[in-house]
Amino acid sequence: MSDKPHEHKPAPMVDEVSDFEALEIAVRELAIEKGLFSAEDHRRWTEYVHTLGPLPAARLVAKAWLDPEYKKLAVTDGVKASLEVGVDWINSPPTGFGTPSDYCNLRVLEDTPKLKHVVVCTLCSCYPRPILGQSPEWYRTPNYRRRLVRWPRQVLAEFGLQLPPDIEIRVADSNQKTRYMVMPTRPAGTEGWSEEQLAEIVTRDCLIGVAVPKPGVKANAKRPVHPAVHPVHHDH
Amino acid sequence: MKTSHYDRAHHAKKATGVGDPQCFKGEAGLAKFKVGDRVRIKDLPDLFYSRCQVYTRGAVGVVIVVVYESPAPEDEAWDNTDKSEWFYCVKFRQKDLWPEYPDLYANDTVETEFSERWLEKA
Amino acid sequence: MSSSTRERVMRHINTVGQLQPALHQPQHAPYPDAIDHALYRAYTRGAHDVGGEPDVPIRWEEKEEEQWELNTFATCECLAWRGVWNAEERRRRQNVDVGQTVYLGLPYYGRWLLTAALVMVDKQYVTLTELVNKIDEVKKRHEDKSLR
Repeated sequence: MSDKPHEHKPAPMVDEVSDFEALEIAVRELAIEKGLFSAEDHRRWTEYVHTLGPLPAARLVAKAWLDPEYKKLAVTDGVKASLEVGVDWINSPPTGFGTPSDYCNLRVLEDTPKLKHVVVCTLCSCYPRPILGQSPEWYRTPNYRRRLVRWPRQVLAEFGLQLPPDIEIRVADSNQKTRYMVMPTRPAGTEGWSEEQLAEIVTRDCLIGVAVPKPGVKANAKRPVHPAVHPVHHDH
Repeated sequence: MKTSHYDRAHHAKKATGVGDPQCFKGEAGLAKFKVGDRVRIKDLPDLFYSRCQVYTRGAVGVVIVVVYESPAPEDEAWDNTDKSEWFYCVKFRQKDLWPEYPDLYANDTVETEFSERWLEKA
Repeated sequence: MSSSTRERVMRHINTVGQLQPALHQPQHAPYPDAIDHALYRAYTRGAHDVGGEPDVPIRWEEKEEEQWELNTFATCECLAWRGVWNAEERRRRQNVDVGQTVYLGLPYYGRWLLTAALVMVDKQYVTLTELVNKIDEVKKRHEDKSLR
């Protein structure tokens, strides 16, 4: 059920095509006609995107919490550490040289009791898609990109996270080829947990840095969801 | 008159099985800065394109990681990839970036990356 | 202690934070002597460089993805995969070349899409005539199918 934050026009006729939809079809058909890429390429890329999500990153964090040697590897060589959760930044994407937009330089930012990281891309919306999936809408907004780097405590408070003044909040602005994910500190109340149990509480919001893991909290905080007019088809 | 002469294969040739920025390893020569160096961000013109954020210019920070070699984005954005530079992660105190940042949160920081051209010794 | 660069930079950020699409100017295309360094910097700024600009608290929302948005993402990555451009060129075109008004006025993926269309024309893989005719044809295809 979606909360509509503002007035919507009535839903268009099923076959009505927006300017964006018409242009998208035109661009894709022309690109294929002119041999710039193939229909198969496009299908493969769409399929690859459907495989992406935050679970590998959550597992990386859980593994690191359980194994100090793996934690060291994750912090010094994020690309190598990603291999152990099934993400090959170079070879998994159809290109064989990484995704064009996400490159192959993951840095895992290790939180400590005295240091909290949170990630933004002030210039666009760079995001570690191969290990975390697609970015959330709010991450892409000019608003988040303007404010997080200058008023991080205010923005984090809006996400429900307030931290004591002595903790260093470090905003990582991913403006070049490095892609960041946060390794939060392991919360109390998780003693003796398995890797699976630990990974369940490391949500996407925790991996961006706007939330911290809590026993029993296995989903991002509820927010309004702006509905799509013609949402993505899922064939499965 | 069609005059397209773009070599669409050059990046795939260079980077397949190797990755990007890995494929530029060794092309930037000696790194000018090292971890721990204090650097100031230059306010070079950002005409037409730059990935050196305006909010960092003139500020002083500390190099915390020497990350990788790559063409600078200002050149890569026109596919001029013959030259590479070293890239550095620099950490700033928030109080050095924003005049109104509260003393109460004096420990807060920002880290972001720069290609070598943007840095000078502070 | 702030240097003159820091002061200049902070003034610039405060200025562009208030730069909105103008509905009316007393004189369009002003004389050169009406443009000082601050205004020149403001008008030639990269629209994407927004870090530190003042803005108001908003409700943080998720969004369901449109099929055309996913298709656009795949198109842009396939264009880069097959060497038509690289991602940095895409960002330059999509986040700066589009200009201030389109940057803030159009949807996020709207810019991805317009930029993919334009790069094909710029690099002469497609003529503008071909693109325009194709858009027209696609629209007609869907009008014929509509239930009006």
